Amino acid sequence: MKSFKGWSLVAFTLTILLIVSGCSDSASGDSTREMGDKSGRGSGNGKDKLVIGLDDDPPQLDPHLSSTAVDRQVLHSLFDKLVDIDEDMNIVPKLAKDWDISDDNQTYTFYLQEGVVFHDGTPFNAEAVKFNFDRMLDPAMGSPRYGEVEQVEQVNVIDELTVEVQLKTPFSPFLGDLTDRAGMMLSPTAVKESGEDFSRHPVGTGPYQFVERELQSHIKVSRFDEYWGEPAIIKDVLYKPYTDENIRLTNLISGDVDMITVVGFKDIKKIEGNSAVKLSAKEGRGFLGLHLNPAKAPFNNKDFREAINIAIDRQAITNVVYHGAALPAVSAFPPASWAHNPSLEVPKGDLTKAKSLLEKSGIKDPSFTIKVKPVETDKQMAEMVQSMLQEIGVTVNVEMQEIGSLLSSAIAGDYEALYLGWDGRTDPDGSVSRFFMSNGYNNYAKVNNPEIDKLLTDARVSLDQEERKKIYQRFSEVVFDEANYIFLVHIDENKAMKTNVNGFIHYPDGMIRPDRIYFD
Amino acid sequence: MFYFLLRRFSLMVVVLLLVSIIIFSLLNILPGDPAMLILGQESSPEALEALREKMGLNDPLPVQYLHWLTDSLQGDFGKSLRDNNDVTAILLKKVPITIQLAFMSFAIAVLIAVPAAIISATRKGTSLDYLSTFFSLSGVSFPPFWLGILLILIFSVGLGWLPPSGFVSLAENPVRSVLLMLMPALALGIRLAAELTRMLRSSLLEVLQSDYIRTGYAKGLMERAVVFKHALRNSLIPVITISGLQFATLIGGVVIIETIFSIPGIGQLVYSAILARDFPVVQGAVMMMAFSVVIINFMVDITYSILDPRIKVGGER
Repeated sequence: MKSFKGWSLVAFTLTILLIVSGCSDSASGDSTREMGDKSGRGSGNGKDKLVIGLDDDPPQLDPHLSSTAVDRQVLHSLFDKLVDIDEDMNIVPKLAKDWDISDDNQTYTFYLQEGVVFHDGTPFNAEAVKFNFDRMLDPAMGSPRYGEVEQVEQVNVIDELTVEVQLKTPFSPFLGDLTDRAGMMLSPTAVKESGEDFSRHPVGTGPYQFVERELQSHIKVSRFDEYWGEPAIIKDVLYKPYTDENIRLTNLISGDVDMITVVGFKDIKKIEGNSAVKLSAKEGRGFLGLHLNPAKAPFNNKDFREAINIAIDRQAITNVVYHGAALPAVSAFPPASWAHNPSLEVPKGDLTKAKSLLEKSGIKDPSFTIKVKPVETDKQMAEMVQSMLQEIGVTVNVEMQEIGSLLSSAIAGDYEALYLGWDGRTDPDGSVSRFFMSNGYNNYAKVNNPEIDKLLTDARVSLDQEERKKIYQRFSEVVFDEANYIFLVHIDENKAMKTNVNGFIHYPDGMIRPDRIYFD
Repeated sequence: MFYFLLRRFSLMVVVLLLVSIIIFSLLNILPGDPAMLILGQESSPEALEALREKMGLNDPLPVQYLHWLTDSLQGDFGKSLRDNNDVTAILLKKVPITIQLAFMSFAIAVLIAVPAAIISATRKGTSLDYLSTFFSLSGVSFPPFWLGILLILIFSVGLGWLPPSGFVSLAENPVRSVLLMLMPALALGIRLAAELTRMLRSSLLEVLQSDYIRTGYAKGLMERAVVFKHALRNSLIPVITISGLQFATLIGGVVIIETIFSIPGIGQLVYSAILARDFPVVQGAVMMMAFSVVIINFMVDITYSILDPRIKVGGER
């Protein structure tokens, strides 16, 4: 009998637990609803915490080790860059209040902002700038930023607030690169103290300082009171990861999330039709498209590549897969970019011409496989390409690989076609060199085209934007003609937020700088 | 009893060792190495090599495994490849969260299954019985992740009764903590409840037809006394066995449910660690899960003898 009593005790405890949770359910269920009503009525003035819903848990909070966009969302509140961009992608002062570029485009002299301190009290000065460059350039560091700063020959401290960066070769994309993580300044003291653990104790000069992080749960940052610039308006910012896009949106609409960084394309209409939330859309600066592998059949045949290039109707993909929140692409540079080439026409799926090119190629019963990430939009895009090419008699297979395997396949050159894009960089060079220069890291098929190499190198040397524009326009024509990469769409940069969130400035890089945001 | 414990314990060690070897090999067979995932599309060959060296990925596999084994035997599961955090420390933070979820799911399952099975077995052939059978069949057929999303749609988006997802620790705010975990626990618990109902029902039916139950009725006992005191207890053995086995399924379901409901437990940790090829974290977490499944099943064996004194563990007479 004794053991039976033990069992009923367990059952009893469980019952009590459920009753308790059941009761409290109704009680605080009401209070949540009340809170929701209040913010809806716009009396959120007392609210001093902004909750940002991210699309993933940021892997790295060390800017020099970061390689994902989701890291950057958080990094932009903790770290200032030497220079920043404005809404129209012009380069503007930040930690460097001014700079000179030598006539040979090889020496950059930065004049630093006075009175700047890191969150740990370390003064920000020329020494700190040198320390940061040296860290990124240290081969043992294995920094993903290396590619952006490898042109740096040496960094010289001129005086407390003047620093000179010597480049190995003229490199005009340099300032553009410094608007991203390569330009973020870390506290040398904190780096020396935390060593490998810096990512868990990030210290910068930004408007917010790091408070705490619970993996997969939240990252909390708080206003830095000794910030050199205008202090942040909202005191606390909480970043929370939501990998599922439906759950993310639900938390924005009916939960405590104030804004989300990535909006599902299928949800845009839903957001526009809901009065509790609003959408901010901006033309994206990146591109999506297909890497074709010219080292393998059938893509070793240029006529065949060209046939594929013109047979795909970009507008249809834009409408169906991206619900109109994208622009059809024909090059790496969207219409808003100064490097855009307006004379290149977007192919509209010219099947007659594609068929004749296919015939010219001499390939019988052509077929190939597209590798895509297991992401709904990517899959849909591949299926659309599949049906479009079926009309000219090309069989397309779709194979899904998660990102780790996909990148492995890419680097090993183990693919026929691969759907991978790029989110774009401030300087056009950052968007294309890595894919198209013969020694580019992302030139997976190791394509060596001397004309492209020469054009891209010329564009790096010149400081004259008009001249560079002409070079990039020519470059886009060559790349289109070679058709080793099929540009498909430039997707829009979308953010969604509760209606009471104000002061959000939509920067072209899609990164939220939370310090100017307020509730009303 | 002592020999029984000793034998079970050594078996446990062997099982865990095998699990560790399997998970280690599987992780290394997966395409995509951690260094490349950290560097992403921005990896230069030099940076890739430097990072691989730093992470010790260039050592031969058996050497890597032995390193890991000797360290983990001392309670040190290594450091996360992503942020250099101590894996043991991460796990210790995550375990209570997942235990809370598992416990609540189990509680929900028991609270649904026991009454449902009793009603269904004692009212065999009635519409109540069919209703309960229908419920258990559909419960088994619904995948938890689907159920989870459905619950969010109904209770958060539609009715606005519950917060859609998130987590607060029990210590911080017990009411909100339980509230936030209600839907995920339900999503996991319903399936479990369905399994348990089916099992308990058939087991009860069998027991109810046995002689001693008839004797019970014959000597004039109330139905309630017969069912609760005699039948229920005697039909629990197979149910306890199933519960032990279901615990492994529960742990599997936790991975996806935690991801959907943004619960920062072991499940979500494993999910993100696998995608990032964060080997030490995956190994540590899987070992932790394997350990808990083994322990639970060990406890199930012990429970037998408590429920039915005729069963003596270790074959004692």
